[in-house]
Amino acid sequence: MAETSHWTGSEKYLCDPALAQAFHMARTLGMPLLIEGEPGTGKTELPIHYAKDRGLDLEVYPVGSKSNVEQFVARFDHVKYLRDSQIEILNAQREEKGLDNKLTTGDRNPESLKDYVVKGPAAVAYSKPNSVLLIDEIDKAPREFPNDLLYALSHRKFIMPESGEIIEVSEEDMPAIVITSNREQELPTAFKGRCIYHYIDFPDQDTMNKIIDKHHPGMDEKVVRVALDVFYHLRRLGLERAPTTREILNWLKYMSQIAPAEAVKKISGLEGIGALIKTQEDMERVGRMIGADESFGTNLN
Amino acid sequence: MLSSLPEHFRSHGLKADVRTLLLLRKAMQKGLVKTLGDIYNVLKGIIVKESSDLGPFTKAYYAYFLYIPIKPGQTLEDAILRSETFQKWKTDYVEEADRDFTDEELVSTFLDEVHLTSYDIKEVVSGKEIWDKDNPDQEDSDPMDEDGEVAERKLDKMADYSELSLEELLERMEKVREQQKTRHGGGSHWIGTGGISPYGHGGAAKNGIRVGGQGGGKMARKVMGDKNYFPIDRNSTLNDNNIDAALASIKGVIEESATEKLDVPQTIKSGLKRGGLFIPEMSSEKNEELKIIVLIDNGGYSMAPYVRTVQNLFRKMRTRFAHDLEVYYFHNTIYDRVYTDERRTKAISIEKLLSHNKDYRVFIMGDAAMAPYEINSLSMESLKAIPQKFKKCVWLNPEPLKYWPHTYTIQLIKQLIPMFPLTPAGIERAVRSMNSKGTEN
Repeated sequence: MAETSHWTGSEKYLCDPALAQAFHMARTLGMPLLIEGEPGTGKTELPIHYAKDRGLDLEVYPVGSKSNVEQFVARFDHVKYLRDSQIEILNAQREEKGLDNKLTTGDRNPESLKDYVVKGPAAVAYSKPNSVLLIDEIDKAPREFPNDLLYALSHRKFIMPESGEIIEVSEEDMPAIVITSNREQELPTAFKGRCIYHYIDFPDQDTMNKIIDKHHPGMDEKVVRVALDVFYHLRRLGLERAPTTREILNWLKYMSQIAPAEAVKKISGLEGIGALIKTQEDMERVGRMIGADESFGTNLN
Repeated sequence: MLSSLPEHFRSHGLKADVRTLLLLRKAMQKGLVKTLGDIYNVLKGIIVKESSDLGPFTKAYYAYFLYIPIKPGQTLEDAILRSETFQKWKTDYVEEADRDFTDEELVSTFLDEVHLTSYDIKEVVSGKEIWDKDNPDQEDSDPMDEDGEVAERKLDKMADYSELSLEELLERMEKVREQQKTRHGGGSHWIGTGGISPYGHGGAAKNGIRVGGQGGGKMARKVMGDKNYFPIDRNSTLNDNNIDAALASIKGVIEESATEKLDVPQTIKSGLKRGGLFIPEMSSEKNEELKIIVLIDNGGYSMAPYVRTVQNLFRKMRTRFAHDLEVYYFHNTIYDRVYTDERRTKAISIEKLLSHNKDYRVFIMGDAAMAPYEINSLSMESLKAIPQKFKKCVWLNPEPLKYWPHTYTIQLIKQLIPMFPLTPAGIERAVRSMNSKGTEN
């Protein structure tokens, strides 16, 4: 029986109740959960922390511009197969000639086709009941990729190439599948239709406080408050690339090395703001609007 | 049961069909739906496919399940306060609670109850047990004890609720909906003891346990009127808000290719040299380079309103395709030359432009609106030559589609070069048509 209990986050991960519910629903229905939201809101962290917290196996498939469904499910390594069968001939020839140094094919046997099937994360996850499968940043994939996944996601069954081995999973044992996207490209409607969708809202100040507490426990309250004020102020400026959770955590990590009183001073002086602002134009804009000058980002003292 | 649901949600511009119902049914079988708030959550997961769907979805939900129509521009509070459903609920609630509330309090209690999910109940149930254990002195006071028992009983009933057969649940929901629709008696049944939620205001709340929604109500309130949750018209002309969506579709022009391929001729060649022993040779295949020529109409008053839009799109394109982007300018139409600078002082001849590799993709941006005499034979030549040389060539027009039939020059140019509106949807179509041409060659 698959893990379908309600999971509400762990020590390190603060899971938004709405997200927790959507995740629970997806697992109960045996459907993938598609998470969208601003970068740095913890989309990828969800399955990672869930798997860790529950002690489940996690398979990750990071999607790139060259992803294809073969990498994701399984492919047959024709080249290795050809090489090994050639090596057999070569070895036979050598034996004939009385030479005894032989080339090895590893543990693979050309007779058994399944030695040459390279299983991708999907096949691995499907063969282990109760695992967690993360398909990260699916929006980076070529356009056909999501459509190719449709079959796999709706049939719960893969047929391995050449060897014909079938990997099948019952609805109860479906791995928990989490798909993340930054919306760099629109996903096909049919694909979305097979997922439970959840949009992660940007956390408000209270929630952010809790998140920071999970990552940097024992951080000076005043430092956090001042930093958050600056952070949310920056977000309201309408920058091209608004700072996100990840960035404030990094900034605070840097500040945590410094004595609180000093850190407050540094934060109000917008020091190290380069951790938050990522484009030159935004930097100029911040300069204009908050009245700081080019010197921030560099050391003020 | 609920057969009108897909139709209703579709009328709000959402994607719902018979599969939606099947999934909802499945969710019920799995015990995910026990309260009205659960239905909201489950349907949200099934129907909402992007954040901008959330607004229309919430609207459709309130209209369908609660009979609370939300008019454009109206806040959720306002819509609730004016609805009959709320009035009925309020009468019951105030009567039972026996004190006065402000409208704000009432609305937030109402929202809490509407969006109460079984997750919340679970928390309350476990909270209740703890509470009971921690309060042995509770038994000292008789009335409180009684209340406690009432609550206990309701909690039991709630637990039993999951045993309720699916048909029964659906039937109740449908009945409740009917009641809402006809606006006759029993309107308050949708929540409370007899309704969908077995856990209304008469339950634990009376006993002092705070039944608070997990922000479902808060979220719904936030959604109304928040531009992040109301769809930006995908067919509106490009602006800062939808420019990223547009670029996402431009990204579609990047074609993918395999990284490494078995080089068959090479393998055979070297295999023959080895006397029939074939060791595979690999070769890496080159990526198709994405080369773009952008031709921008930057002259004339008619283009003025769109300059910023075009520039914006262009600036973003530039950051994405930094090395493979060439830009030229023209005024109204293309004659024998295009200009390399915005002020149109330096020019290159059309022959030079045509001497580019034919794999270049050409985007022409302009409103194509001009006096008919401006398109003379010279211009016609150029406009014909460009798509002839560059098979992947499109014209993006910022002019709204509805004006196209009334502009003679648009009609004319449209016949020479495939023309698409300069909107996210238009760009996507343009890119798609470009790519399909790529395969024909």
